[in-house]
Amino acid sequence: MRLVGVDQAAQTVRMAFDVSASFANPTGAVQGGFISAMLDEAMSTCVIIASNITMTAPTLEMKTTFLKRLMPGPASVEARIVRLGKSAAFMEADCFDADGGLVARASATAIPMPFKRL
Amino acid sequence: MAFDARAHWQLILGDASKFKGATKFIGFELIGFDPLAGWCEASFCLPPEAANPAGDAQGGFVSVILDDVMSVAGSIVQEGPAMSPTLQMVTSFIRPVPIGVRLIGRGEVIRRGKSAIFTQGFLKLDDGTLLAQATATCLPRAMPG
Repeated sequence: MRLVGVDQAAQTVRMAFDVSASFANPTGAVQGGFISAMLDEAMSTCVIIASNITMTAPTLEMKTTFLKRLMPGPASVEARIVRLGKSAAFMEADCFDADGGLVARASATAIPMPFKRL
Repeated sequence: MAFDARAHWQLILGDASKFKGATKFIGFELIGFDPLAGWCEASFCLPPEAANPAGDAQGGFVSVILDDVMSVAGSIVQEGPAMSPTLQMVTSFIRPVPIGVRLIGRGEVIRRGKSAIFTQGFLKLDDGTLLAQATATCLPRAMPG
């Protein structure tokens, strides 16, 4: 994963991934759960950055819609905060393939917690 | 000859040494399955690469396990060699999922329709503690080739 763009004011992050062929399902496409993993990563990072590294947000529930298949190789994810409240955070993220085609979209609910460096 | 679902899937799911990709990464080991009732149970063990900074499994990797076991359930209920591409999946992360620990995943078919299959999945510790659950909508598809 490579963080390629952060807009703290707009509460968005953009990440680039090079998806390993070891994450493929038997058809050779990336197994859906790994797309969820990339989307989850970007949405969680979004909360950390939007809160100026004061908060982290363990995901309570996440929904992913798989629109198109993704082959191993370059992919990118854009995540945004819908609302960052005191007791709940709502995020959304989109995953794109190398040609910029929309592959999957996710939404998640999380609980903001004080950020602790482990 | 009629398609022998039990024999076909036992051959594919039963030999962990042949697994590649996603299934290998999450340490899939078959416990049991029933093509008629539409369920599949397997044990899993997540590698350190699946950890978040807190040392538990990053949520997406929990979705990987549930997607895997639900897709197997959605595949085995179809006639012949099949797959079940996921259209949509919702995961609830109920408790932190540990890394390097034996986990039990179960996928079940809720309804096998002509044009859509609805599945649900549960991830538990060996002692039965529920860690995560999911529901998914997928498509019935013959395995290409």
